[in-house]
Amino acid sequence: MRYGTGPEVLREVTFTLKPGSFHFLTGRSGAGKSSLLKLMYLAHRPSRGLVTLFDEDIATLPRRRLPFLRRRVGVVFQEFRLLNHLSAFDNVALPLRVAGVKESTIRKHVDELLAWTGLGDHMDARPPTLSGGQQQRVAIARSLISRPDLLLADEPTGNVDDALGVRLLYLFEELNRMGTTVVIATHSETLVSRFKNPILHLEDGVLIHQDRGEPAGGTGDPRDPRKPFGRGGTQ
Amino acid sequence: MIRRRTDLPLSRDPSVRLLPWIIGLMTYLACLMLAGSLLLSELLGQWTSGLSGTVTVQVLPREREPARQLDQRVDKLVRILQRTDGIAGARAVPLDEVAALLEPWLGGTTALEALPLPRLIDVRLDMTDAPPMEALKTMLSNADPGALLDDHGIWQDQLAGLVGALELVAGFVVLLVGLATVGIVIFATRSGMAAHQDVIEVLHLIGAEDGYIARQFQGLALSQGLRGGIIGIAMGAATIWGLGYAADHIDSAILPQVRLLAWHWVVLASLPAVTALIARSTARRTVMRSLTRMV
Ligand SMILES: Nc1ncnc2c1ncn2[C@@H]1O[C@H](COP(=O)(O)OP(=O)(O)OP(=O)(O)O)[C@@H](O)[C@H]1O
Ligand SMILES: [Mg+2]
Repeated sequence: MRYGTGPEVLREVTFTLKPGSFHFLTGRSGAGKSSLLKLMYLAHRPSRGLVTLFDEDIATLPRRRLPFLRRRVGVVFQEFRLLNHLSAFDNVALPLRVAGVKESTIRKHVDELLAWTGLGDHMDARPPTLSGGQQQRVAIARSLISRPDLLLADEPTGNVDDALGVRLLYLFEELNRMGTTVVIATHSETLVSRFKNPILHLEDGVLIHQDRGEPAGGTGDPRDPRKPFGRGGTQ
Repeated sequence: MIRRRTDLPLSRDPSVRLLPWIIGLMTYLACLMLAGSLLLSELLGQWTSGLSGTVTVQVLPREREPARQLDQRVDKLVRILQRTDGIAGARAVPLDEVAALLEPWLGGTTALEALPLPRLIDVRLDMTDAPPMEALKTMLSNADPGALLDDHGIWQDQLAGLVGALELVAGFVVLLVGLATVGIVIFATRSGMAAHQDVIEVLHLIGAEDGYIARQFQGLALSQGLRGGIIGIAMGAATIWGLGYAADHIDSAILPQVRLLAWHWVVLASLPAVTALIARSTARRTVMRSLTRMV
């Protein structure tokens, strides 16, 4: 893919994510991690190549069906992208509201998740009054609230200390254990060495797979042999 | 009033706060134009129904004709007219009434007596069975070459033409005002979208359908349009009442007595609803159209 008429930032990237897998996406700054994730959460179309999400070819899918696909994908943006005029609660509730979920259900789920991420006391706070780490947790909670089938997190532990980073990673593992496919873009050596998940490594727009011994991923629900989704084939 | 939670902080945008006032001004103009054209057609209706049931016959005096002879000619014509089918009544206008009609132009009555005044016959037509004007004319001039029929036709046609033209202009102005309102709402919606592009993108990426995003804008546009409409109609009503009050307090003899009827007020009172709906659907279409540019 390329931005506008700029150079190609992703060139040889071919991979298929098994449902229920858990990958790290690594690469030095500017390698194209965020760009690859943008293709996967349908913020960009590839300039050439094929992106297939949940068995749907993005290029041929009618535009009006894209929102329903997007609702199955949870995203933690690198720069959070919280809505500053809404409380933490309303930010987290947003994906459910957009999907038309009942307000009483929303209340219950959001309260629960915010408590779980340690933000129970900050439900009514607006993002600008929260610390970087707290904002990051709100962003993570927003990506998890709708129990997505695919979770894409761009540097979700960039603003927190290693200990909290590890705790957040356990959160993602928990979600993964319930069947969600997870991809986490990260710079953190600590996390990568601590969790033995397979790695997608980007080097100048070229993707290199690294399987490391026994993968933590692929342990998705065996009773749910879904077809591979999240297949990227951009060049 | 419970404020609805919205995902976009639109109501704080300066362009949004200005919107009701601009729409209000537009509604005010539309309201005056509408009221004016309703009044005009009401006026025209009154005039024509007042005039169209009657015709006037002028009987011109001959050179040095004695008044008695002129009276005889008039009496004869009145009798003929009363016998004619389709005529409900005919009456010779007494000389002092004619004099009174002419007094403003000619001054005191003493001068009038010396003048050879034409005599007038008021004819009321039976509107269900009125005779053709041409036939009436020929019949009258056969009976008396000095009898002229004035059916006010030219005067009525010209009046109707003038009122029609004025109404056309008023309708055109209302149309322009409507287009301007649409333009303003498009502009305000676009600038709102530009100001909140980042939020719109987030909503989009977490799976909001276009309609969901459009609803953020159209709800506000509806209430702003309604607010503007109410401002405009309030100013319009005040103006109309003010003018009516002023008209009541000047010599009413030369002014026709027209009032807006109840159904006219209903038409005017529906303006805020109309502006609100125009604003809402304009905002919706604007958002939907520009969202199709997003992936
Ligand atoms: N919106 C954009 N417009 C133009 N070029 C962009 C844009 N976003 C990223 N790029 C370019 O694409 C390349 C890859 O950027 P990307 O953000 O994907 O890197 P990254 O791996 O996420 O880096 P980091 O680890 O610093 O977040 C960079 O060269 C960058 O300059
Ligand atoms: Mg990045």
